[in-house]
Amino acid sequence: MNTVGSPAQAERAPQAASRLASFRLIPRIDTYPAVVSFAQTIAGKLVLLALFGAGLAYTIRTLKDWLLLTLCLALITFFPVRRRLLVTVSTLIFTLIVPWRAYQNPVYVSSLVVCVIALGASLFWFAARWPRSWYGRRPAFLFLCGFAVLIVVAAYTPRGNRFNGILWDLTQVLSAYLWFICYSLLDRNAPGRDPVVLQLGTYRPFWGSTHTPFPKGAAYLRRIEARDSQQFAVIQLKGLKLLAWSILISLFGTFFNKCIYEYLKIPTFAQALGLSANHTPLPWYMCWGSLLAGFFGGIISLSVFGHQVIAGCRMAGFNALRNTYRPLSSRTVAEFFNRYYFYFKELLVDVFFYPFFFKFFKKHHKLRLVGAIFAAACFGNAFYHFGREVSFIQQLGLGRALVGYQVFLFYCILLASAISVSQLRHRKPAPPGFIRGQLWPSFLVVLFFCLLDVFGATERNYPLAEHLRFLGHLFNLNF
Amino acid sequence: MDHISEIREFLKNLLAIRHDRQPFNDGTSLFLSGRLSSVDAVELVVFLEEKYGVDFAETGFDQALIDSVDAVASLVRTAKAVD
Repeated sequence: MNTVGSPAQAERAPQAASRLASFRLIPRIDTYPAVVSFAQTIAGKLVLLALFGAGLAYTIRTLKDWLLLTLCLALITFFPVRRRLLVTVSTLIFTLIVPWRAYQNPVYVSSLVVCVIALGASLFWFAARWPRSWYGRRPAFLFLCGFAVLIVVAAYTPRGNRFNGILWDLTQVLSAYLWFICYSLLDRNAPGRDPVVLQLGTYRPFWGSTHTPFPKGAAYLRRIEARDSQQFAVIQLKGLKLLAWSILISLFGTFFNKCIYEYLKIPTFAQALGLSANHTPLPWYMCWGSLLAGFFGGIISLSVFGHQVIAGCRMAGFNALRNTYRPLSSRTVAEFFNRYYFYFKELLVDVFFYPFFFKFFKKHHKLRLVGAIFAAACFGNAFYHFGREVSFIQQLGLGRALVGYQVFLFYCILLASAISVSQLRHRKPAPPGFIRGQLWPSFLVVLFFCLLDVFGATERNYPLAEHLRFLGHLFNLNF
Repeated sequence: MDHISEIREFLKNLLAIRHDRQPFNDGTSLFLSGRLSSVDAVELVVFLEEKYGVDFAETGFDQALIDSVDAVASLVRTAKAVD
């Protein structure tokens, strides 16, 4: 039997491999000249909006929200010259009008939101007006200190009276805007910075976000904004593609959850941890099952959410990077942290890492790097999460809330240590071969983050000892 | 080797570590486009500090300042002029 193929066959093989490598489930419509040209016409814009709106209908459950979001995107699509102003108007609509009925006391809550937005705008204005003043030189740092003081004051004013209630509510609302205001304060000295009115459009922009600003602040929006109609069309097509991709992942996520939790009946991580804490642990393989399911389920849900938000942002004409991008292909711990939740990592880098890195230990490279990593991945990470859970602090009191944070603090220390080791090792190109060069390092990184999830994916119900006990169960060590 | 070639070579190596073999020219956006990350930015910053004495504590740091070969070269020129 002839084992050597004909020359024609030999030629076809790489062609097939290249075709396979360039195959996309969702076609690269943003690279098709005819599609890009069509997307710049009125008919094209309408088709684009209709398709995007249909995609949004899958992700947004209420008709009013869907209608308003589509309307805001339509306005920006047809009046791109006024894009930034329209972003501000849309954001204010989604801040004050859309959730009105959902609030128990809409006038009260909206007043608090307006107070916080006004505070953010004033802080930005003061910092931009007096950049050389004591405050103007470090506004973000002082603002974060002020927030920490506010938590302490709220925790130590007598409970049960009206003033204390208002203070906690104000702290809660401020925590939702904390990092958005922080980004606008970092933008105070940037050349060509936006005026206060446009900064307001970045305070929880209408396309959505968590407590983490998606995608960063005004300075970033200025840089990634479409400059002409062709760029705008390409960015919108990318947004449409990303929305389609998020829907596919979402469908896969539904299938994944059904398989894992309904068909295989693997308990959730919280259930497995609870059983372990009650001294009735699951077998080791079921512990692994719940941990892995939680880990991969977390990646899927974060990808879906992040893609939907960034798709909306792109539809508005900002070429933002994806929030989650192939985390499982990461070859280092630092790379995974970057790929898993990009905008959270960027926040920690911008607010904690760079200020430390450029200020301290400039003559000691390793100490400087490790210090900056701990400032961001440990202190910044813990501060972000602690400040986010105001109701948890209100419920338990400051002291007990801090004690309850021991597990997450342990998580932050482990994470920062791992990133430090990852960064201190000399970076070099991957060794040749798929297994040694890609598969093995990626496997180790994913395994590390999976084990780290034992301490990260927690509802703060159990002490550190219980999490360590669960870790032991994973390796069939029962103590 | 002049400083532009050195910068180009350094950025090329950073991209190679990330398996990025796509060509780039002096105006290509590397950080804002996502081809390089903040981890790479730190390496570039240390390189610029050690090699050309660029002090970001003075100027303030922004990834846009090092986004392309042209941007880095302009930063180095400014640092040299200050010296």
